[in-house]
Amino acid sequence: MRSERVEEYLEAISRRQKTEMPVSTSSLAADLGVSLPAVTDMIRRLEADGLIEYEPNKGVSLTSEGSRAALSTIRRHRLWERFLTDILGLRWDKVHDEACRLEHATSPETEKRLASLLGDADTCPHGQPIPDKNGNVKDQNVRPLSEFETGQKVLISAVVKEDGRLLRKIAKWGLKPKSIVKIEKKNDDGSLELKMDGQILRLDKSTADYLMAIPLFAGKEAVDEEIPVSRLLNGESGIFKTYTGERAMLGRLISLGFTPASSVRMIENFRSGPILVKLHDVEVALDREMAAKIIVTRNNLGC
Amino acid sequence: MKPDEKALVVALAGAPNVGKSTVFNLLTGLSQHVGNWPGKTVEQKTGIVRHNGLTIQLVDLPGTYSLTANSLEEQIARDYLVTEKPDLVVALLNAASLDRHLYLVTELMELTPRLIIALNMVDVALQEGIKIDVKALESALNMPVVPMVASKNQGLKELVEVIAQKCGKPVDSQAVGHVEFGSQISGDIAHIESLLTDEDTNPYPRHWAAMKMLEGDSQINKLLKNRLSEDRWAELDLFLNDKESAALTLAGLRFDWVKNVLSSTQEKPPIGRVSFTEKLDRAATHPIWGLVTLAVVMSLIFLVVYGIGIPTQHSLQVSLIERAQALVLDHMHFMPDWLQSFFGNGLLGGVGMVLTFVPILFLFFMVWGFLEDVGYTARVAFVTDRFMHFLGLHGKSSLPLLLGFGCNVPAVMGTRIIESKRARLLTVLLAPLIPCAGRMAVIGVIAAAIFGGQAIIVALGVIAISLVVLVVLGLLMNRFVFGSKRSALMMELPLYHEPNPRTIGLISWQRTTAFIKRTGTVILVVSIIIWILSYFPGGSIEESVLGRIGIWLEPFSKLMGLSWQPMVALLTSFVAKENTIATLGVLLGGGNAGLSQALRGILTPAAAIAFLVAQVLFVPCVATLSAIRQETGGWRWVAFSLSLQLVLSFSLAIAVFQIARLLGV
Repeated sequence: MRSERVEEYLEAISRRQKTEMPVSTSSLAADLGVSLPAVTDMIRRLEADGLIEYEPNKGVSLTSEGSRAALSTIRRHRLWERFLTDILGLRWDKVHDEACRLEHATSPETEKRLASLLGDADTCPHGQPIPDKNGNVKDQNVRPLSEFETGQKVLISAVVKEDGRLLRKIAKWGLKPKSIVKIEKKNDDGSLELKMDGQILRLDKSTADYLMAIPLFAGKEAVDEEIPVSRLLNGESGIFKTYTGERAMLGRLISLGFTPASSVRMIENFRSGPILVKLHDVEVALDREMAAKIIVTRNNLGC
Repeated sequence: MKPDEKALVVALAGAPNVGKSTVFNLLTGLSQHVGNWPGKTVEQKTGIVRHNGLTIQLVDLPGTYSLTANSLEEQIARDYLVTEKPDLVVALLNAASLDRHLYLVTELMELTPRLIIALNMVDVALQEGIKIDVKALESALNMPVVPMVASKNQGLKELVEVIAQKCGKPVDSQAVGHVEFGSQISGDIAHIESLLTDEDTNPYPRHWAAMKMLEGDSQINKLLKNRLSEDRWAELDLFLNDKESAALTLAGLRFDWVKNVLSSTQEKPPIGRVSFTEKLDRAATHPIWGLVTLAVVMSLIFLVVYGIGIPTQHSLQVSLIERAQALVLDHMHFMPDWLQSFFGNGLLGGVGMVLTFVPILFLFFMVWGFLEDVGYTARVAFVTDRFMHFLGLHGKSSLPLLLGFGCNVPAVMGTRIIESKRARLLTVLLAPLIPCAGRMAVIGVIAAAIFGGQAIIVALGVIAISLVVLVVLGLLMNRFVFGSKRSALMMELPLYHEPNPRTIGLISWQRTTAFIKRTGTVILVVSIIIWILSYFPGGSIEESVLGRIGIWLEPFSKLMGLSWQPMVALLTSFVAKENTIATLGVLLGGGNAGLSQALRGILTPAAAIAFLVAQVLFVPCVATLSAIRQETGGWRWVAFSLSLQLVLSFSLAIAVFQIARLLGV
């Protein structure tokens, strides 16, 4: 196992590489909170180990081995975060620092058990993807929220800055990953007005920079597609719109959780027989004929 | 329910599958009274909880997701709240899906000013990554909230204490609350209210009734349609016609309120992790793997029932009933012969015989209770739904029918899970056509005696015939008796959870004792009548009324190739299916070894097949008929079932015999 320091460096370089390539030694010093000479020392060591390439006066970049090592650390970090929130019940704004310590002391065996305990979770509590055990990261079509324009509807996918205060603020707004927001207005200073569940939220530019989002519809002209719930494929989801069948059944549907704007996810839809959907965290079985009369707006998500 | 002036009345409300019966059982223990809600076939349970000198009468309301009358259960629950006005209502919610379950609270608070929230399954919630701030929830709802894990007996004491505490305080206000509806809906409700008087809506509060009308509540609408003059109703109806979408709007508002409450009190994992339940369901509800799972589960059940239940029944029969019968014969010489026979054959042979089936029944109730508690029953309904469509039924009918292969009684009683009256009745009528363990035993003995090595083929053939009859009959009844209206499957699949042995034991015990209590008399009376018929006037079965009926029917039974003895045996199987063999033994003489010989003497192969067909389709046994009466609430369907199976059994047996003879079997 590599030393904790080495792992810290590789992780920091990997994070920085998303925005800066190669990564300057001064950014590294700032991210890790160490002095510049200390960074230079360490860089020499990492270079000697074949983990990074260093171009004097420009900066460093990870070699393929270095990047594998970095992803492996990130994987452990995010798995631990999931563990801390899901199993131990820590709040999501408190898990980053803990995970930073735990990630370095994790054997491959523990990592494997951890992953299976978590049901092979694929994101950290903040929504960032967990690299799989071979170091592959799912490619996501994400952009910072600040890059979207007025009128666009997006799905918040992740918070990329794991700062306690920021996370608490986001949680309070209810803007956690998987929430769907519409950009009502984008101001000149980059601040945003968002609409979520009928409420208006105001975000400054810097916060919007740290929130990653996925566009919900390809372009502005894309129309919300209204289809019977029976046409959703396994894994697809939609928003409950209305019911077109007998009025007498409406009450029962409502009591099973079909309230306006509830999100419905298809769990099982084979060619015939009843379908199984999940809404409000409960699995509901529906007759196919019945399902043909339940209209939802399909979420045009990639997955 | 005994009116006890000091007893506080506390109603327990909650959705199905939140562990209501567990909580109720743990709180009341064995002090409960199980009956039916007045005039309804829905079970009502009440029990007593004592705490620090306080006597609390706990009433278990039927499990409901809402209080709009979509089902009998919902109607009962809300009528109880309106007319009985319990001192306190405890709403039991599932902490793992609070947004769903708080919905019921929005409706409960419209009807009752004093509510306590019992938050069950907090362990499951935690396991799913959901964190609930109980204190914050209390202040957001302005109601006491008690977190608990009923399956592990946690939080119940606290609940009772909160109940006691809350009861001790005077009611702050009788006013009931409700979710803020906004001017549009409030205006509509006010308008409807203005068209009604308190008398019109009695016993329901006027405001509430107006709101329910806007929601399109069929029961309230019907009530008012009957009460109001034509003009007044027309005015209301006209107004409501325009408000079709109000039900959804109202539901949306209620749900928004719930979301709002939860936004500050609950933390959920941001990304929907695939839950344990979902993972299991990938197999359990899959069109193919689900059936495989079901087959495995059912095999295990029958392995248990046949491995434990039937040997127990048999040993009870041998060690208890037969020994007692021998005692009667040995020691009661001083009594007249008929009295000896009454004790020996009438009581011990009839009622005693039925009683030996109690362990099997209990075992079945255990299995059923276990599957229910774990959450598997709903999956059975889901995977079998597509097959039940042929019969105009939906998946909820399949578990009762499957249980029928063990014993028809739990099958008939198990139909309670079916909400649609029509589907339920159809299932009740079809259940007795499933060959139960008793009939299987008879088939086994007779097939082995007559067909030797080919017995298994004959036995399977007879069972197949009875299942074909079931399907055809289901199709026909669905078409002609019930008018082809198919009921749609629509239900929640509850989260899987660890079974609680105490609950299962208690429920099985209750179901068994309730069954004995309610059907014991009928079984006793019928057994005695059959005994009288089989004893008088001659003193033996040959010279009895029954024997004479058999002989008198011989020309008829000859159509099936049967002499009078098998016919009489068939008649006595009315008490219990196994009696067929016992009676044949008596009539043909010669104990077990001799029976096969004697059977071969009176039954040709063709006649034997006919006899087995007649036997397997013959009228349901007394216990099953009593269960049918209990579940359908009258003798009408009992009579229907009796005559239907009588006709079926004989006509098919005749057909089988005639065809077999033509084919030269």
